[in-house]
Amino acid sequence: MAESSRQGILPEHLEIALQKQLFNLVPFGVAVIDDHYRIVTANPHFEEYFGSWKGRLCHEVYKGSKKPCPTCQAKLTFQDGQARVIDETGLDRHGRTRHYVTHVMPLAGINGSAKYVIEMSTDVTETRLRQREYNLLFERVPCFVTIIDRDFRIVRANEKFRKTFGEVRSSYCYKAYKGRDSLCTDCPAKQTFEDGQERITTHTGIAQDGSETHYVVTTAPLSRGGGEVAHVVEIAADITQVKLLEKEKLDAERLGAVGQTVAGLAHTIKNLLMGLEGGMYMVDTGLRTADSGRIMEGWDVLQRNFDKTVAMVKGFLSFSKGRLPVLQDTDPHALARDVVELYRDAAQKQGVELVYKKTRKVHHAPLDPDGMEACLTNLVSNAIDAAMMRENGGGRVEVLTREAKGTLLFEVTDNGCGMDSEVKQKVFTSFFTTKASKGTGLGLLTTRKIVQEHGGCIEMESEPGKGSVFRIKLPLDRLELLAAEIEKEEDSV
Amino acid sequence: MSGRQKKILIIDDEPDVVAYLTAFFIDNGFEVVSASNGKEGFHLALSEAPDLITLDITMPEETGIRLLGELKDEAATRQVPVIIITGTPGISNQQIDHAPTAFFEKPIDRQELLEKIRRILVMN
Repeated sequence: MAESSRQGILPEHLEIALQKQLFNLVPFGVAVIDDHYRIVTANPHFEEYFGSWKGRLCHEVYKGSKKPCPTCQAKLTFQDGQARVIDETGLDRHGRTRHYVTHVMPLAGINGSAKYVIEMSTDVTETRLRQREYNLLFERVPCFVTIIDRDFRIVRANEKFRKTFGEVRSSYCYKAYKGRDSLCTDCPAKQTFEDGQERITTHTGIAQDGSETHYVVTTAPLSRGGGEVAHVVEIAADITQVKLLEKEKLDAERLGAVGQTVAGLAHTIKNLLMGLEGGMYMVDTGLRTADSGRIMEGWDVLQRNFDKTVAMVKGFLSFSKGRLPVLQDTDPHALARDVVELYRDAAQKQGVELVYKKTRKVHHAPLDPDGMEACLTNLVSNAIDAAMMRENGGGRVEVLTREAKGTLLFEVTDNGCGMDSEVKQKVFTSFFTTKASKGTGLGLLTTRKIVQEHGGCIEMESEPGKGSVFRIKLPLDRLELLAAEIEKEEDSV
Repeated sequence: MSGRQKKILIIDDEPDVVAYLTAFFIDNGFEVVSASNGKEGFHLALSEAPDLITLDITMPEETGIRLLGELKDEAATRQVPVIIITGTPGISNQQIDHAPTAFFEKPIDRQELLEKIRRILVMN
C-alpha cells in the first residue's frame, strides 16, 4: 500500500497490466506486419474493421487485393525506418469502402533494423462524408462565401464568389469585392472580429466583368476553442437581380404615373376650358342683352377659372420637380407631433379632435423633414376634411408613429365618411378630387411621390361610413441605403 | 317645341359648369333644375320628373356612371334620356353597363348639344 501514497506515479503492477492491455484497449485497429507483409498480430478493433487476418497478407486484408499496393507505405518504412501517416481507402469486412488514417511505425529489433512495422488505423469514413457534404455546401451554395483572416485576407472563397469576382485567394476582401485599396468604412467583418457578434449589411461590389453586384452580407465569427475570433465567414446573398427587378418596377410605376398624369391633366384642362367657355358665354350674352347681372356673373366665373388655372400650374410645377430627397437625421416623433400641433386648433374649429398617439421605440431616421412634413400635412388635412363630414359630429383624427419589422410607419386614421371602392381606386390618380372646386387633386399624388422617393410606399384602408387609415411605410434599410447613395453622389459631384 | 316647357336636370359638381349650362338652357327656352352631387341628383330626378338629364362622371361621393345605373334601375326614371357631359377622356359605351343616350366631351360644342337635346326630346 506504500505505493498509493506516492502521488503522481502509477503503481508498478498497474503499469504492467496497462502495457499488456493497451494493445487491446486503444480505440483503433492495430496490426503488426512482418517484412513479408504478412500480418502477425492484430487487436480486436482491427478484426472488427477488417475481419479475419490470421496468416493473411496485409493487402488482402486491407483491400481484398492479391497484389501488393503500388504505393506501399510499409515497404518505405522497412527501407528507411521512418514513421508515416497516410490516408488510405480500403474495404471493411463486409466489403464496403472505408477511409482510414493510418500511422505506420517501425518496430525496431535489437540490432536496430526493422523486421516488423506496426500500423494503427482510424476509420474516418463518416468524417470524410461530412467533409464532402460541407465542401459541396460551401462550393455550391448560391451565395458568395469567403473565409477571411484578421488581416482581411481571403483564406477561402467558394465557386460562386470565384466565378463572379475572380481568383482571389489571399487577396484583401475589400479589394476582391470592391476593388478598394483600404477597408470599407462600415466593414461588418471588422465589427465581428471586435465583438464576436453576427452582422447583416447591404453592400455593392464590382464583379470582375466590371458590373455592379448588390449583396446582403452576413458576417459570423469563427473561433477555435472559445478564444479570440481568428476568422470571419462572410456569406453574401446576391440580390443584383432583385435590385434590377425593383428598379424596373419603379420605372414602370413612374411611366404609369406619367400616363395617369397626362390623362388627369387633360381632364382638368377640359374642366377649366368649360368654365372659361361658360364665363365667356355669360359675358357675351349679358353684353348683348345689356344684363349687367349676367355680365358680372360671367366675369366671376372667368376670374375663378383663371385662379384655378394658376393654382393648378403651380401645383403641377411643384409635383414635377424631380429631386432626390434631402435626408437629415430626423426624429419621426417630433415631426409628426409638430404637424398635429400645427393643425389642432384648425381641426377643433371644424369640430374635429386631432390627437397624436405616442408609441415606444421609434428611432431617429434619415428623412427629408420638409418632404415628410408635406406628406403628413396632406394626410392630416384630408383626414380632417373626411372627419368633418360625419353626420353626428364627434369627428376624430389620430396620428401615430411606430416602428415594426425594420419599417418606420406614420399612420393617419380618421373616423370620417370613408371611401367606396370607386374612390379608393382613384385617390392616387392625379387631379382626382372629391372636394370639387376646393381641391387640386394633387395632394395624395405628391405625397405618394415623396414617399416613393424615400424608398417607401403608402397604403390605405377605408370603409364607407367608418373611416380611413393612410399608412406611410418606410423600410429603414432602404433609408440607410438611400442616405449612402446620396452621400456617394454628393462626393462624386 | 309644342306643349309645356321641357325640363332639364343638370348634375355636375362644378358650380361654373352648372351656371353655364343653366344660363344656356334657359336662354334656349328650357326650364332647369340642378344638383351638385349624385344623391341630390337622384332625388331631383324623382321629384322633378325632368324630360332630360345631363350628367357629369367625376363627382364626389358617387360617380355619374353609378348614378346612371341607379336611374336605369328605377322605374320612374328609366325612360328619361341621359346625356353624359364629361371631361374624363376615353370613356365609351363599352365601359358602361347602361348606355346613356348621348356623350359629350368637355368643353362642349353648345350648338351641337342643343340640337342633340332637341332631337332627343322630339323623338320622346
